[in-house]
Amino acid sequence: MPKKARSAEKSPRTTTQPPGSAGEIARAHPLALPAAFPIETLVPQVRLQTPAVGQRATRPDGRLHGLGQTRYIDDLAFPGMLYAKIKRAGIAAARIRSIDTRAAEAMPGVLAVLTGREIPVNSFGPSLQDQPVLADERVFHAGDGVAAVAALTEQIAAEAIEKIVVDYEPLPAVFDPLEAMREDAPKVHAPASNIYETKVIRKGDADAALAGADHVFERQYRTQMVEHAPLEPHAAIAVWDPNGRVTIHTTLGRITLGRADISRTLKLPLNRVRIVATIVGGNFGGKNEITQEPVLALLSKKTGRPVKGVFTRGEEFASTTTRHPFVMDYRTGVSKDGRIVARKVRLVLDGGAYCSWSETTLGKACILSTGPYRIDNLLVEAHAVYTNKTMTGAMRGFGAPQVCFAYESQMDEIAATLRMDPLEIRLLNAFEEGTASPTGQVLHSVVLKDSLLRAAQRFGWKEPRS
Amino acid sequence: MKRRGRGIACMWYPIGFTVSANPSAATVKVNEDGTATLLTGTVETGQGSLTVLAQIAAEELGIATDDVHVLSADTDAMPMDTGAIASRTTYVTGNAVRLAAEQAKLILFETAAPMLGVKPAQLEARDRKIQVKGYPQRNAAIGEVAHRSQVVMGQPAIGSASWNPPTVAMDPLTGQGKPFSTYVYATQIAEVDVDDETGEVEVLRIVAAHDCGRPINPMLVEGQVEGGISMGIGFALQEQILFDGAGVQVNPNLANYIMPTSLDMPEIEVDIVDSYDPTGPFGAKGVGEPTSVPTAAAVLNAIHDAVGVRITSLPATAEKVLAAIKQERAHNTKRIPAR
Repeated sequence: MPKKARSAEKSPRTTTQPPGSAGEIARAHPLALPAAFPIETLVPQVRLQTPAVGQRATRPDGRLHGLGQTRYIDDLAFPGMLYAKIKRAGIAAARIRSIDTRAAEAMPGVLAVLTGREIPVNSFGPSLQDQPVLADERVFHAGDGVAAVAALTEQIAAEAIEKIVVDYEPLPAVFDPLEAMREDAPKVHAPASNIYETKVIRKGDADAALAGADHVFERQYRTQMVEHAPLEPHAAIAVWDPNGRVTIHTTLGRITLGRADISRTLKLPLNRVRIVATIVGGNFGGKNEITQEPVLALLSKKTGRPVKGVFTRGEEFASTTTRHPFVMDYRTGVSKDGRIVARKVRLVLDGGAYCSWSETTLGKACILSTGPYRIDNLLVEAHAVYTNKTMTGAMRGFGAPQVCFAYESQMDEIAATLRMDPLEIRLLNAFEEGTASPTGQVLHSVVLKDSLLRAAQRFGWKEPRS
Repeated sequence: MKRRGRGIACMWYPIGFTVSANPSAATVKVNEDGTATLLTGTVETGQGSLTVLAQIAAEELGIATDDVHVLSADTDAMPMDTGAIASRTTYVTGNAVRLAAEQAKLILFETAAPMLGVKPAQLEARDRKIQVKGYPQRNAAIGEVAHRSQVVMGQPAIGSASWNPPTVAMDPLTGQGKPFSTYVYATQIAEVDVDDETGEVEVLRIVAAHDCGRPINPMLVEGQVEGGISMGIGFALQEQILFDGAGVQVNPNLANYIMPTSLDMPEIEVDIVDSYDPTGPFGAKGVGEPTSVPTAAAVLNAIHDAVGVRITSLPATAEKVLAAIKQERAHNTKRIPAR
C-alpha cells in the first residue's frame, strides 16, 4: 500500500534549478534567503476547530523550527555589526589594582574596549542591586566579567581580551555556605553579613509537639549546583542610534524587568530603551535578568555600530545564574498511626556571589518545605548565604525540587519505619480541599489525593510485584 | 546484578510569585474579517505559551486558534507583562488575555444587538458567530459584525485589560499570609533498575499525574511534563557543577557536565488530573515548573526500594550509590573476631 501511494505521487523534484530561481539565489547568498519556503501553508485541522480551549493545537513556530527558519539572535546580522567578548576574572575573590587595556586597544580590528568604571550605574539585581555589570573594584566570583572588547570579528575580540592585563590583589574567599555563616568567615560583600536574607514560618508549637510525638525522624539532605543548559546561550545585539536611543535584541524572558535594569545601569529614561526579544531557545529561569546587555549598549555607543555578544558554553556555566545548592535539616514528629504532628526545617541556600532571585527562591522553598501535608505544628527557618561562587538564581522550580527531595525522602523513611505503604502514608497526611497551608492560606482546587491515586493506578502500584 | 525498585513522590507548587505585584496586560484587536491579533509582553521561550494564549483569546471570541495571530516581546509596542517566569503565563497573562478579548467582544455585541434585535447581554460568541443565547439560529458571522463595527459604527473591536493575582503579604515573624493565588499538585512514580555491582541507575519508567487546572492544550501540557522529567532525572542522577579549591569551575562544558540525553529518557506516561480552578482563565492554572519538582525524589525513593540504600545528597551518581551499597553490605556482614 505505501509503495503504491508513493508511485502515485508527483515526479520527484529535479536537482537542477533554473537561473534566478530561489534555490540559486540561496546558494549564491546563503544568508539572504532560507533554503526553501514551503509552497503551500497547510493548517492542521486542530487549529481550525472551535471551541479552541482543550484542543491539542499545534504551534505556529513549530513549522519554522522544523524548517530551520527560526531566527535566533546568532542568526541576525546588521550592517557594520561588531562582535563583543568579555574577559572573565578567573579568580574567586580579589581587589582589582589596575586594568591595562592598551595592548588590546592597539590591535587592528579592535574598535572599543570597556571597563566597569565606564558604566554609569554599575550595579543591578532584582531584589538587591549587588551585582556589577563588569567588576570594577572587586571580583566576587571567578566568572565575573572585568572588561569587554568590540572588534570586527569574534576571533579578533577573543584574541584582544587575552591581551588585557588585570592586576589582582587576592582576597580571602569562602565557598561552603555553612562556613560562610560563621562570624569569622571572610565576608563576600564586606562589611555586610554573608547571610543576606532570612525567612521564618511558624505555626502551632513545633518543639512541644516533637517532644510529645511517638517517633521523631531527623536527617540532613543536600543538593548540588546545576545549570539550566538551554540550547541557545545568552545572546544580544545592541544598536545605539543617533537620537540616543538604544534597541537591544536579546534572549531575555522578562523584557519589562530587563528594560528597567538596562535603563537604570545606563541612566537612560525607559522610553529610550527598546527591548526586542526573539523566540528564545530555552530559558528555564536562566534568562530572567540582564547579563551583557548594558556592556553591548555602551560598546555600540562608543563605536556607533551594532554590537553582538553570544556567550560561550563556558560563560553559560560560570557567568550566568545556576540552581541553588541547599543544605536541609528535617526533624519530623509522627504519631504511631503515621500522622505527622510536627516538623522543623532549617534551610541554608548557597546564593553564590549575588542575590539574584534568592529572595523568591527562599520564599518559595520556605513555604513549600514542609510538603503538601496537614501539619499543625511547624517551624521553618531559611537563610540565603553569599559564597564566592557562581551566583544562583531563578531555575525551574525555585527551590521546590530541593525541598521535595527532602520531604519525600523522609516520608518514605517514616513509612518504612512504621511499616506503612508509601502511598497510604501520603494519602493519610495529604492536603484536602479547604486545608490551611503552612502560611494559613485556605487552599482551593486541591487535587493532591486524586493525583496520588491516578498515578498509583496507572503505575499498577497495588498490583503484586514480581 | 540489576535490582528493580519503585518510588513515589508528590508535591505542591504555587502559580506566580510572592515578592511583589505580578501583573500582566494584553490587547486584543479583532480584524474586520473576524480574525484577531493579540499583543502581549510575554516571551515565547520554547514552551508554547503563545499558542496557549491564542487559544484563550480564541475561546473568548468564539473563533479558532488559527484565527488569532500573536505578537509578543517588544517593550516599545507590547503591553506590560511580568514575564515568562514562575509558571505564571497561562494563569496570569491568560487571565489578562481573556479579559482583553472580552472587552473586544463586548464591542462586537454592541454592534450585533440591533442587527439581531436583542440586547447585548443576550448574546454569545461561538463557532465564529455572534448568536442569541438559547437561539443559536439567530446569529451573524463574526466577520460581518467586526466589519460593521469598524466600517459602519466607527468603533473597531479592540480590547485592553490587565490582571494581577490577589495575594496577602506574609507576616515577617510568622510567615502567615496568602502569598500565592493558587497552587497545583502532582505525583510521579518512578521505576528503576540499579546495578548493585556498579551503582549505575537506569530509570525505566515514570508515571506522572499532574494537576494544571483545566488543560488549555493537553499536548503542550504533556510536552512540559516530559521536559520537566528530563531535567528532574539530570538533577537526580547526573548533573553537578564542580569547583576546584580556588572556586573555579572544573566542568563548565557539556563534555564533562553530564546531562540526560534521549538515550537516558525513560518511558513516560502522563496523566492530567481532572481539575478546574475558578480563578484561572477557563479553569486553567499552570504546569511549567512543577513537572521537574517530584522527579528526583521519586527516583531516589526507587533506588532505596531497589537496593536498600538511602542517598541523602544529590546527584546519586553511580560512584555514590555503589559506595552506599558497599557500606550497607559491610554493615550487614557479621564479623567473626579472629583468635
